[in-house]
Parts: sequence; structure tokens; C-alpha cells
Amino acid sequence: MRGGTAPSTAYDDESYTRGGAVDRGDVGALVLSAADGDAAAWKALVDGLGPLVWSVVRAHGLSDADAHEVYQTAWFRFAQHLQRIREPEKAGSWLASTARHECLKLLRAARRWTPTDDPQLLDRVSEDRTPEESVLDSEEAAAQTERVRRLWQEFEELGERCRQLLRVLIASPPPSYQEVSAALGIAVGSIGPTRQRCLRRLRARLEARGTL
Amino acid sequence: MNGTHDDGFDDDDFAEGAFSDEEWDTGLLEEELRQAAAILDPVPAGLRQIAVEAYALRDVDARIAELTFDSLVDAIPVRGETDPPRMLTFRAGEVTVDVEVTAEGLIGQLLPPGPARIDVLSGPRAHARLTADDMGRFTGDAPPAGPFALRLRTGEDLVVTEWLRA
Repeated sequence: MRGGTAPSTAYDDESYTRGGAVDRGDVGALVLSAADGDAAAWKALVDGLGPLVWSVVRAHGLSDADAHEVYQTAWFRFAQHLQRIREPEKAGSWLASTARHECLKLLRAARRWTPTDDPQLLDRVSEDRTPEESVLDSEEAAAQTERVRRLWQEFEELGERCRQLLRVLIASPPPSYQEVSAALGIAVGSIGPTRQRCLRRLRARLEARGTL
Repeated sequence: MNGTHDDGFDDDDFAEGAFSDEEWDTGLLEEELRQAAAILDPVPAGLRQIAVEAYALRDVDARIAELTFDSLVDAIPVRGETDPPRMLTFRAGEVTVDVEVTAEGLIGQLLPPGPARIDVLSGPRAHARLTADDMGRFTGDAPPAGPFALRLRTGEDLVVTEWLRA
């Protein structure tokens, strides 16, 4: 996931070396093409940035219904503003920030009007099987499945701050630190150190359970 | 993984140069977590499809009326009122659209006052059509659950309100 060349400072350069499947430099070009009428470019944006948007709503612990609505709102608004985006290369940050603001609005409204009706907390170890899970099962890779589940369970039991940050960081393709900053409203410079601490904490938990 | 990691929680400043073992380990762990997220918490396929179809929502000719007031955020809550109406104001230049959404329906006022054809959008597909009278007033059914927008045509002018969750 990191480039072969060692950066001069570990954190400042990391945002530039992150990112695998989608070249982040392409985002600006894709936005311009999509604004010009290229539907394939739009699709590429949905696939490249959709997981980031989803990770933002997940990181905020919304109920499934609310998460779906925020995800849609962010994309509808992006489509609406497509011709007018001032910095096309920052479309990921634009989407992440839009999703974050909608999440905060919902959370604030839920707290204000119906204090007893707390938004559901994340509960992803559900009975619904994704296609990928079914594949794992059908290949009888039970041990691997179990490992993934345990890893996820330990992740979900991390503190709020770590869970939020990691949930966004592990979107696929990996978001840049600028995008993570927009998604969570935190300073770019704080992301690297917090990430390191949270992953260390997670590893300690896994080791304590003998999962690593 | 390997047993030579460092668990010191205050050791966040790494020396310049090559990655430390620990940094390498956390990178691997993050990658494993990324794969777990892709398996256990992916973007639901239906949502991805909706986002793909949202491409149809780009409105080249319309002006966007931005949300300038939302009672959910800007209003002071009234004690005892459990389900207050949602008051929204959108603005595009000199055009203002006030909308009140309740469980019973939607009431609106277009300013400057005048007739308009109004589409209630609830995504790339479904929509309802309303008409604003000569005073700029309009009423309709409550928009369905989920994000909605209004597209208003007044003579030459085409204005679309910012997408919003009702």
C-alpha cells in the first residue's frame, strides 16, 4: 500500500503515497469528463468514491435507513453541483464533507426532538450474507472467515474515536488524508499519529485474544 | 505477526527514513481491516445503483437554490412539541422558496409571487407535479421518505432546490 521510496517524513508524505486501485489524480479528470456528459466517468466516480461516502455514514453510527438516505443525498447533491464544482480534484473531500454535515444534522435532530430514540449503533455482524461472505463459505475457508469476523468484532469494540477514524481510513480504495480530514472534521496532521495509535491498540486487542 | 513490535503509546514520532517494523505492521493490519470492511460492510448494491442513476440529476440549465434556513438546525425547539413542521428556505439570487413539510403534506410559497410549474423530485425516477398559483402558493402531498428536491419553472427561469432529506 505504500510506495517503494521512503518518504522524508512519515506523515506529511503519506497522503500522497496512499491509494492503490484508483489514482487519486484521476478524480479531477473524471469529474470534468462526467460534467461533460461522460456517463462512464460518472460510474468510475461512484465506484472510486462511493466506498468513502459509505464509510463516512458508517463512521457516524447512523441507523441503516438514515445511512442510506445520507448516502443518496450526498450523491444527488454531487450530481446537482457537478457542473459547478470549483476544485474537481477535491471531489472526494467535497462528497465526504457533504456526507459528514448531513450525518451531523441527523444526529443533532435525533438528539433534539426525540432524546429517547437514540440512533442505532453499528451492528454489522448480521445474518445477511454478502456475496463475498457466501464465497468464503462455499470455499470452506472457515478459518479465514472466522479471522475476518474476529478482526471486525475487535475493531467495532474500539473506542469511538478510533472506530470513526479507522472506518474512514479503510474505505477502498484508500482515501487521502485530505479526504479523511473532510470526512471527520479533523486536522490532516492529527490523522497519522492517531491512526498509528488506533491500529496499535487494535493489534494489542487481537494479540490478547490470540487472534494474531 | 512478528514479536518485535513496540507497544509504547507515546512513541508516535518516527525517525526520518525507512519505515519502522511497527509502521509496516500497522500498514498490514490496516490492509487486512480494509478487506474485512469490503466483506462485512460494503456499499449496498442497491445504493451503488442509485448513485449511478443519479447522473441523470445533473441539471445543466437550472440554477441551484441553496438551503438558507432549516428549522432542524436553525430553529429553537418548542417545548412539548414532539413533531414540529419542518421549515425550509431556499434561495437562488432574487428567488426565494419557503417550504413547510409535515406528515400531512407540503405547503410552499414562491417569491417573488407568481405562477410556476413545480416538480417534486425524490431521486432519479419518481416525481409528482404541482402548480403554484398567481400568488406563488403551492401545496402537495408530503414528499416520500428519502432525499427530495423541487424543480420550479417560472416563465424562462428554471430553479432547483438543493437535495435534502425531508
